Amino acid sequence: MATVDSTVRAGAPTARGADAGPPAQPAGIGPYRLALRRLRRNKVALAFGALFLLIVVLCLCAPLYAAHVAHTGPNENHVTETVTIGGVAKDVVSPTGQPIGPTWQGRFLLGADQNGRDIAVRLLYGGRNSLEVGGIATLVTMTLATVVGIVAGFFRGFVDGVLARMLDLIWAYPVVLLGIALGTSLALGGITVGPLQLHGNSLLVPAFIIGIVYIPYVAKPIRGQVLGLREQEFVDAARVGGAGPLRIMWSEILPNVSSTLVVFVPLMIANAILLEAALSYLGAGVQPPNPSWGTMISDGIRLIPSAMHLTFVPGAMLVLAVLGVNVFGDGVRDALDPRAKVRLEEHAEGASR
Amino acid sequence: MRVRTFGATLVAVALLTVAAGCGGGGSNNSTSSTGSSGGREGGTATVLMGTAPDYLDPQLGYTTQSAEPDWIIYTPLLTYRHANGTSGGQLIPGLATALPTVSSNGLTYTLTLRRGLTFSDGRAVKASDFAYTIERAIRVNWGGKSFYTNYIAGASAYDSGRASSISGIQTDDATGRITIRLTQPYGGFANVIAFPSSGLVPSGTAMRNLSNDPPPGVGPYKYASVSVNRGFTLTRNAAFARFGIPNIPTGHLDTVRVTIVSNTQSEAQQVLNNQADVFDAGDTLPPSLLPQIESQASSRFARVPIPSTYYFFLNVTKPPFNNAKARQAVNMAIDREAMVRLASGFLKPTCWFLPEGIVGHPGNDVRCPYGERPDLAAAKRLVQQSGTAGTAITVWGEQRSPRREYVDYYTDLLNKLGYKAQERIIADEVYFPTIGNAKTDPQTGFADWIQDFPNPSDFYLLMDGRSIQPTNNQNFSKVNDPHIQAELNRLNPVPATKLDSVANDWSTLDQYTASRAYVAVYGTETMPKFFSDRLNFAAAVFHPTYLNDWTSLQLR
Repeated sequence: MATVDSTVRAGAPTARGADAGPPAQPAGIGPYRLALRRLRRNKVALAFGALFLLIVVLCLCAPLYAAHVAHTGPNENHVTETVTIGGVAKDVVSPTGQPIGPTWQGRFLLGADQNGRDIAVRLLYGGRNSLEVGGIATLVTMTLATVVGIVAGFFRGFVDGVLARMLDLIWAYPVVLLGIALGTSLALGGITVGPLQLHGNSLLVPAFIIGIVYIPYVAKPIRGQVLGLREQEFVDAARVGGAGPLRIMWSEILPNVSSTLVVFVPLMIANAILLEAALSYLGAGVQPPNPSWGTMISDGIRLIPSAMHLTFVPGAMLVLAVLGVNVFGDGVRDALDPRAKVRLEEHAEGASR
Repeated sequence: MRVRTFGATLVAVALLTVAAGCGGGGSNNSTSSTGSSGGREGGTATVLMGTAPDYLDPQLGYTTQSAEPDWIIYTPLLTYRHANGTSGGQLIPGLATALPTVSSNGLTYTLTLRRGLTFSDGRAVKASDFAYTIERAIRVNWGGKSFYTNYIAGASAYDSGRASSISGIQTDDATGRITIRLTQPYGGFANVIAFPSSGLVPSGTAMRNLSNDPPPGVGPYKYASVSVNRGFTLTRNAAFARFGIPNIPTGHLDTVRVTIVSNTQSEAQQVLNNQADVFDAGDTLPPSLLPQIESQASSRFARVPIPSTYYFFLNVTKPPFNNAKARQAVNMAIDREAMVRLASGFLKPTCWFLPEGIVGHPGNDVRCPYGERPDLAAAKRLVQQSGTAGTAITVWGEQRSPRREYVDYYTDLLNKLGYKAQERIIADEVYFPTIGNAKTDPQTGFADWIQDFPNPSDFYLLMDGRSIQPTNNQNFSKVNDPHIQAELNRLNPVPATKLDSVANDWSTLDQYTASRAYVAVYGTETMPKFFSDRLNFAAAVFHPTYLNDWTSLQLR
């Protein structure tokens, strides 16, 4: 088992390898390079990863689109203005409140909403907000869940008891309900923790809420994994070598759970984006007038019979983004999972025969 | 369908004949009539509301959603004729035997309670219940309590805890005589007695919010069940018909079921598809369904103008709106045509606080002090001159459409003017109690006012410095202007019957208020009367104050 010891010390792809012993790998190729090689073979995952990346890039370009193409900001109202289509001036919002549909030109490419705001601009800015919230929430979840999971699993006993019960407490509430409760209350007063102060309409409020409600979903598996790792010989060796708990957790345990964390990242991004959309739809996430895909769907509901694009377009973007990151995440998981590798190689061998 | 005996039908026919013989003043007193306009008696109708009532406690409710049921459950000593248009503004005796006798100096009102009245739980109604009801409205901090505390002798002392009862209200349970003494004449005081909050509840009713279990009242209907923020049910109060109170109909339906549907799209769709019967007049029909409603349901849809004022309040005690130029800039920049479009055309633009249909409305010939058309460039210059540019502003608003859209527009406008505005959108049910709480002390936000009674003084409650209160405050701009106070002191005593004689004075006052830009008025509302096919649309009354009169709802 010396190879196992040396592999995990170097930061093995998964702790499951420590339990069962990873299959032999070609000499001179690191585990992550091997994972990357396997990922490159998964064309479907790469295609969906590219789709997600494209959406991210498009959303990051929102200010450029707003300034140079649409010539309006995401929250700018144009209720009584007109737009010229084919030489004919048309109301952005009709006297009876009906917004214009897609113009397929720079201004109001995808039409306007009830307030005469450019849907395409709001869609891109909304995507930025949704992705920003999803990204920050994932960062919060992964950071706190890693700390909590490793500390609880490593120390066990009283510390584990307290932390595990706290995780149970959060887990006991349905995610959406907990998010609504926190979102509604914090949207009014914001968050003040010592010198840190967040206003109610800050994007960081829903990001922190989502980040916190998902902590148990990552921390619990990490804790379980650490409970097994702390009994491994390499941990005993480090302890005998004089390393303290912090050093062992940082240098020995963390590298061995890193591949699990990598697998969780796309999954949590997808979940965070979905929860953000749900909370924003219900008024407990991104606060108006700031756009997000969730708030845009909510705003468009009123006009579904006559302007379905108001709900369909942000809904489609949401589906594509979540699908992209989920399928790509599955590919990453398969690539990092040595058992999956065995399956893949067996499959490849079978195919070559 | 209810089964009725032949005997009952005979009685009904006899009663109808008598009622017809009595002429136009005849009422709907018969509980078993077959309906004079082709409808049938009994049955259940479903009323949808986009927003739950603020309270289901008569001494706390102050929105149209609470006034609709309160009006027909808690009859005050005086009430209004159940009629459309201006006729609906006519005061009639309710639980009192007649309209009040007013002393020559206008300071003493005397009424007599009808005999033999009982609450819906069977308890006898006493004259002293009236005094208790007014005390309760003050103690639980009703939003309009200043109508009592400003005028009834001893009410202010009771409010501040310096007295254990209101000295200005004297009652005699034996004779039913009720005497109300005022500190100063108030021409609209008879209307104050007609508020739903003055609707009698039994003495001893708890002095706290009883919305979950509303107290008994005297009216054609009573609460049968309440599911907070989800709905409530009214059933006919059988005892009421025996009282034979003229001009107060006993209702046609056995049950009125009210369901809260927060999505107005769904609300309108259900009524259009005849899955529910009444669309809440306080809601705005979604623009996407409007063409369909106008074409497919034209026989059961109407737009009814109601004296109302829609505006953004501008808190004069907090920056930036403690600066007159900042307030003027908002009034100068606001695009009222945009607001009309956001309201799907259910708004008529105006800059005056007193709406059309109310004495003192300056009229469309008078030019708005800050122009008829928006002037964003001039408004920006004003903001720069005021030195308030860059001030952080929180704009308060409700979730329901189109009020959310109004606030979206307004927030964008403030940002265009150079402020750092952000929105605070909260649930409809708690909106007015929240912004009316001194702890919130909002800078600016959405507000509206629909007439309580056809008198300009009702609207000027919102500009009366005396009406600023710690909870359920309605003077959101916190206006306390000496000139307005002096004018109110002079104009408020004028009796309702002589209002026309001071119409010009009210108009001048309203122009002064507009010039001070204490609020940014943008329109007066036209409300939708929209029913299902199941109801007799033509016979249903759309009251100028209480909107859909549920006692007039009748199944076809």
